[in-house]
Amino acid sequence: MNGLYSAWILNLLIFLPVIGMFAVLLSNEQKAKYVALAFGILEFAISIPLWALFRQQDAAFQFTASLPWIEPWGIFYRVGVDGIAVVLLLLTTFLMPLTILGSFNYIQKKQRVFYAMLLLLHTGIIGVFCALDLFMFFMFWEIMLVPMYFIIGVWGGERRIYAAIKFFLYTAAGSLLMLVGILYLYFRHRELTGIPSFAYTDLLALPLTFREQFFLFGSFALAFAIKVPVFPFHTWLPDAHVESPTPGSVVLAAVMLKLGAFGFLRFLLPYFPEAATHPTIATLAMVLGLCGIIYAAWVAAVQPDAKKLIAYTSVAHMGFVVLGIFALTMSGIQGAIIVMLSHGLSTGAMFLLLGMLYERRHTRRIEDFGGLAAVAPMFCAVFVLTAFASIGLPGTSGFVGEFMALIGTFQTHPIAATLGATGVIFAAYYMLPMVQKIWFNKLDRPENQKLTDLTPRELTVLVPLVIMMIFMGFFPKPFLDRTEVSVRQVLDRVEERRAASRPDIGLLTPPAVEAGER
Amino acid sequence: MQPEAFEPTLLGLIALLPLIGFVINAITAYAAPERKIIPTIVGPAVVGVAFVIAVINFLGLRSAELHGPIIQTYWTWMAAGSFQIAAAFQLDQLSMLMTLIITGVGFLIHIFSIGYMIADKGYARYFSYLNLFVFFMLVLVLGANFPVLFVGWEGVGLCSYLLIGFWFQDREKADAGKKAFIVNRIGDFGLLVAMFMIFSNLGTLDFAEVFAAAPSAFAYGGAVVTAITLFMFLGATGKSAQIPLYIWLPDAMAGPTPVSALIHAATMVTAGVYLVARSSVLFALSPVTMTVVAVIGAATALFAATIALVQTDIKKVLAYSTVSQLGYMFIGVGVGAYAAGVFHLMTHAFFKALLFMGSGAVIHAMHEAFHHTHKHWDAQDMRNMGGLKKYMPITWVTMWIATLAIAGVWPFAGFFSKDEIIWQAAARAVGPFTGWFTLVWVVSLVAALLTAYYMTRMMILTFHGENRTGEKERQHLHEVSPVMWLPLVVLAVLSIIGGWINVPHALAGTWMAIIPHSEWLHEWLHPITAMADEILATQVGPLAEQAPLFGGGEAVWGTVSCVLALAIILATSNVLSKKSVKVASESPEPTGFRRVLYNKWYIDEIYDAIIVRPVLFLSRVFWRVIDQGIIDGAVNATGYLSRGFGWVGSRLQTGHLNTYAFAVVLGVLLILGFVVIR
Amino acid sequence: MMQGITIDYSSGVHFTLVLLPELVLSVCAMLVLLVDVFQKGSRSEPSASWIGWLTLGGIVLAGVANWLLLGMHEPATTGMMAIDAFRVYSNYLFLLAAALFVLIADRYITQENIRLGELYVLMMLATVGMMIFAGSRDLMVIFIGLEMTSVPVYVLTGVNRRDRRAAEGALKYFLLGAFSSAFFLFGVALIYGGTGSTNLPQIAAAVGVEGTGANMFSLVGMAMLVVGFGFKIAAVPFHMWTPDAYEGAPSPITGFMAAAVKAAAFAAFIRVFLTAFPGLYEDWSSLIFWLAVLTMVAANLIALVENNVKRMLAYSSIAHAGYLLVALSAASNAGAAAFLFYLVVYTLMTLGAFALVASVGRKGEEHLDIEAYSGIAWQRPFIGVVMTIFLLSLAGFPFTGGFIGKFYILGAAVERGLVTLAVVLVLSSLVSYWYYLRVAWYMWFRDPSPAATRDGVIEVPAPMRVALVIAVIGVVLLGILPGRMLDISQKSAATLIAPETPGVGMTR
Repeated sequence: MNGLYSAWILNLLIFLPVIGMFAVLLSNEQKAKYVALAFGILEFAISIPLWALFRQQDAAFQFTASLPWIEPWGIFYRVGVDGIAVVLLLLTTFLMPLTILGSFNYIQKKQRVFYAMLLLLHTGIIGVFCALDLFMFFMFWEIMLVPMYFIIGVWGGERRIYAAIKFFLYTAAGSLLMLVGILYLYFRHRELTGIPSFAYTDLLALPLTFREQFFLFGSFALAFAIKVPVFPFHTWLPDAHVESPTPGSVVLAAVMLKLGAFGFLRFLLPYFPEAATHPTIATLAMVLGLCGIIYAAWVAAVQPDAKKLIAYTSVAHMGFVVLGIFALTMSGIQGAIIVMLSHGLSTGAMFLLLGMLYERRHTRRIEDFGGLAAVAPMFCAVFVLTAFASIGLPGTSGFVGEFMALIGTFQTHPIAATLGATGVIFAAYYMLPMVQKIWFNKLDRPENQKLTDLTPRELTVLVPLVIMMIFMGFFPKPFLDRTEVSVRQVLDRVEERRAASRPDIGLLTPPAVEAGER
Repeated sequence: MQPEAFEPTLLGLIALLPLIGFVINAITAYAAPERKIIPTIVGPAVVGVAFVIAVINFLGLRSAELHGPIIQTYWTWMAAGSFQIAAAFQLDQLSMLMTLIITGVGFLIHIFSIGYMIADKGYARYFSYLNLFVFFMLVLVLGANFPVLFVGWEGVGLCSYLLIGFWFQDREKADAGKKAFIVNRIGDFGLLVAMFMIFSNLGTLDFAEVFAAAPSAFAYGGAVVTAITLFMFLGATGKSAQIPLYIWLPDAMAGPTPVSALIHAATMVTAGVYLVARSSVLFALSPVTMTVVAVIGAATALFAATIALVQTDIKKVLAYSTVSQLGYMFIGVGVGAYAAGVFHLMTHAFFKALLFMGSGAVIHAMHEAFHHTHKHWDAQDMRNMGGLKKYMPITWVTMWIATLAIAGVWPFAGFFSKDEIIWQAAARAVGPFTGWFTLVWVVSLVAALLTAYYMTRMMILTFHGENRTGEKERQHLHEVSPVMWLPLVVLAVLSIIGGWINVPHALAGTWMAIIPHSEWLHEWLHPITAMADEILATQVGPLAEQAPLFGGGEAVWGTVSCVLALAIILATSNVLSKKSVKVASESPEPTGFRRVLYNKWYIDEIYDAIIVRPVLFLSRVFWRVIDQGIIDGAVNATGYLSRGFGWVGSRLQTGHLNTYAFAVVLGVLLILGFVVIR
Repeated sequence: MMQGITIDYSSGVHFTLVLLPELVLSVCAMLVLLVDVFQKGSRSEPSASWIGWLTLGGIVLAGVANWLLLGMHEPATTGMMAIDAFRVYSNYLFLLAAALFVLIADRYITQENIRLGELYVLMMLATVGMMIFAGSRDLMVIFIGLEMTSVPVYVLTGVNRRDRRAAEGALKYFLLGAFSSAFFLFGVALIYGGTGSTNLPQIAAAVGVEGTGANMFSLVGMAMLVVGFGFKIAAVPFHMWTPDAYEGAPSPITGFMAAAVKAAAFAAFIRVFLTAFPGLYEDWSSLIFWLAVLTMVAANLIALVENNVKRMLAYSSIAHAGYLLVALSAASNAGAAAFLFYLVVYTLMTLGAFALVASVGRKGEEHLDIEAYSGIAWQRPFIGVVMTIFLLSLAGFPFTGGFIGKFYILGAAVERGLVTLAVVLVLSSLVSYWYYLRVAWYMWFRDPSPAATRDGVIEVPAPMRVALVIAVIGVVLLGILPGRMLDISQKSAATLIAPETPGVGMTR
């Protein structure tokens, strides 16, 4: 049974949403949402055993399955997950039913097509997390854009078309260059071995000169940096978020942004270690990460549109991820992963909450609210809690991630970490005024006075998220345990490649940390 | 007594109980806010029980002999390679003392709150916040490593935010809460960086390991340890409202008065002092930091006192007095008299909590009186009070006791703690920074006298002279209910005898010997401060016997300060009680220097001008100019540019055959040229 | 697979065998013509509706005949008609295009009251021309093929006599076509002068492996050929006629031109250059390189500002010519294979797209402006979905044949070390995303425009539906499981390139 499950689960996870898509399309307009929800729940249900069955101490890819696809080119359908992928995969499946349930009220027109697109989107995302063949990886990576394009374009707001096309072209621009990079790797490998292969592990073994690494790093990094998004490639995000319907924003923020960071860990560091650890590039990464943290926080603070504000905070959070990853320390990367998960929960919840507000008041302008806590106490409680989780209050998932990421960064880039720590101030600076303007102050507007509190459906969407935020705040260990070995593997690979030259460490040089640590 | 091996009883439960209380009250607040009986029982009870458990542990701890702190690890919190943080509690003399203060004083304030808040709609919500605060505060003091401490550190910040903005419908109150949190976060940033530095240098964040490793790992006065301690102190200034981050505390008075008593007087604001005392080893290693701490403390003590001189809002006076007293505590820990700092922390908890609750009682009474007659006067403005002693005698007496205590009159608690700090400042005026310490000593003396003045002024304006509330209102003035005055009485007793647990030897031979000297607290805290004391002893040298100026020992200066304080109290009361006071509505705006003090030296306005506005302005620039203008502009420009090229190209598509033919010929020539030239 | 016949040119029978598919199709064309004429007599009335089926039958027959070619072996590789998998493959391509054309055109053309009979006959004759064009191994015959292809297509372009745009487009096409044919012929002459032969392998021999035997004549001649082909495949700057001609011609015919005619020209192009001038690779590869860059960039940029969907697709077809030129400049086995594979996908999606343009354009093709597509997808889901798939494939999106084809071409380029060219390709196709998606957003994101709703429903005739479904299935299948097709195209391409010519050939 276990064996059968392990062999089939990933394929099932990838293709169940497609089946769901057709099921939704065949159902009628009223039933569509329930069918979609059913598939979402099913998807999550079957993914749960992954958590238990994943062997934490095993660095190899697990639940692997392989099937020849396009032999002439050595392209296989190869799936499998490591520790990093499995937690992100579970995050995705965990959020999936919640997202669907959360869009019940928001989506009023063309429901069948909408849920079909939403399910298709999940296939793309899950495919990316599972793919062990670069060709396959790229296909899923690209195909994601199409459903998202439609979700934003059809069900979006005022400037939806602009936002949709911008999102599409911007993200495609990055990935197309990655395609050339992938092909280059493929042919280098074929030259050296004579075997055509797109397999992740085959190409991993490829010895590359620094120059090659440098350019390939560029082509991959751009694709991922845009997805993350790293400053200054972030401007598509606010537009996409503001115009997209709630479920779109949720998936975009909670999962799709993680794909970029996932790419950093899966490809950039292991494939091009010398380039990734080159002092200049490391410094650049640090600087851009900091720009994200500080700059984006400041920009967020003055947004009149609540959704746009949260969109910018995503950039800020991802800044911590970039910092943590390029710190190349155990705690740095582990922290970055926790930040990713935490951001998925808190920002996802945030967008859901704002969506629920929008359904009630049909506005996203912060000024239009005020004093809502008086009429919707539970709503307020959940919102405030989510807000504090998002700004990293200890006891919530946000703190664990940012703290570990920064302390990891401090070991290699003290100044960067110190500057990054100012993020805690600016987080309060952007979040609290919004919370106050929406929930506190006088309840002066009549249209706000009859605002209703959360419905049971909405609570069922939000409560799991809130519970997870707090749980991860106090017990992040289970997550860290699952990712630890994979992260160590990445670091070891980087370490052995650059053992010769270690980038200078700068102010307050710590006593050399033992190799296992890095 | 025979020392036996000691096992702490239900240590975790002490913290857990308030959390349970929070959950119950929160549920009540949402499900059945009108069921006031539940919070009335649960709210105080959980804290009370926690106090009892704390006392049990305390008795056990006294009779035991400890080799280092007792650490209870519950689970592994964060782990990544060599970075391991456990969710662990640590019980030692310091955390024990803090726990007693928090739960003890906290319990009394909970009781008081019943009377004070019962009428409020958010009664259950209030108690849930209050319990949550106690939980985080206990986590703060019981935590066995910096991150756990930090959980409490920010947790109390959150509760303070929620409680200050408890009446969130009021814009000012909500603003005050926001301000408190953001300013605190500036401090938290410092603490975070300090933690990073400690970890990257020592590879651990557990108190025991850090303090054990520090003396060997760090050179005395080294750059690293100085940086660490300075960042840590930044954190302390945030939490404990010291210059430059004190600005949030006066605004924090927007919260319900018992909150001011619990959070902004007795417990949370002293967390910074606790942090310094806890990390005494690190601070002792850095003379520079210690001087900075002492000087900042002294500056704050004086500065806040000057503002308190002219405030008319009873809570504002107490707020600034709190800031000032916190300054004293920092002088204490700054000069290296850690026990003295903690001692003043404790006594201050007693009499300042008493003062706040007393003022709460007054405000409560005033408010009711005005409420009856629908008079829209400020129930907190002392100019509207006067002669209240007739109506609320208990409050009056107890508050006088507290006043004498805070003014440092023998034999009240404040005398012993404050006098010790002042004297220690003098005694430590040796070693590299003699000049600074001398200054600190002088300033602390002056501030003490100011304290005596503004406290007396407050008492006179409030309770003495003729009553200014108005005819009809007067009928409705009466003493508060027992549930509110009982805590006052208890604290009054503590404010008297509280200081006797630590009477210095120096006073033995003098007229003050009536109270048998026992340096119990010093001995109690010795295990905590021993290492720091040792470092100081070896590095700085022995303490001075004589004051740096005019000579004279501890007893002499103790007598001097006590006498001066008394003199000022008497003088002030005589002068002011004769002077007739106008009610707020009629009294003119303060003028001249008075005005400057009244407006708190315009510090808020200055901060607003040099920090808040520029940041906001820059944020707008970032958004409009850089983000939308340059970055996004560039993105869109690429789009428009390519369409522009396309347009140019499409113009060439004239539709005229000759154009086409021309193009073909052109192409041919190009190709020919290409081939031939190669 | 039947056992092989070795061709012996001394016997007349074998001559006919070699030209079997072409002959079959020509005969069928005559048959259709006669049937049509006799059926109508002197009266000018529309042809019988079953004429289309007759045509289809002829095409199928030709297909069978084409299959027989696989069983033939030639003694030497110098015959005028090549007998190799490449020819068979390209023939099938043309027949596929022809068949789809019939399905698409049938109802539509009658509605435009154009005589079906003439139309089909011309189309079939053009197809014969293409087969010769692509299948021949002698420049003279290739030229004949070229003309046999062009002349009927000139007529087809202007077949709708009542339409001024058609007449204009046809005239431009004809004049410029004649112009370029002249260049082509001139090139042939020069090459003959330079190498003393018009037979490709012999030219190759004369030019020599390293191009040592090449002289200015053959070089210039080669350049002239590039011009001639460049015109047929509509490479910038020889593309000017394309938008006008494509816009003028009835959409199904446009599709046929864009797909089949271009394919034929390309097939001939690649055959000539890979068999005759491998030695001169150094010379022409960079030439093609720049031609490709110019074509891709210019076409895609101009398409950005095109609001007329038909013209937009015209530019898109020019851009695709650019992509195919990339494959050519790779000049490797992979290149040729990629090229063949891409042609199939390209044929399917282009014909499909133009078919939809036809149906959306409705009577007299009045609704070519993109506005007409507003909200169509929600009114006519079939059109919406199918068009979207074609667009995604044209844009080269994963899980469509367009992606695999583009990926293959990219691969060939990178394999050849033409990374710059690959980068230009991806960037220009990024530009193309915009105008393809633009159509998608009009179809899906906009509300139906009054113009679209006013004159009633959009009719998709049953045969056209069949054609579209076939095309969609083909596109998607080639996108998901291209393995088999890749195999075939690789084998076919292999027959084109003699492995022993190191100038090109495989770097493997």
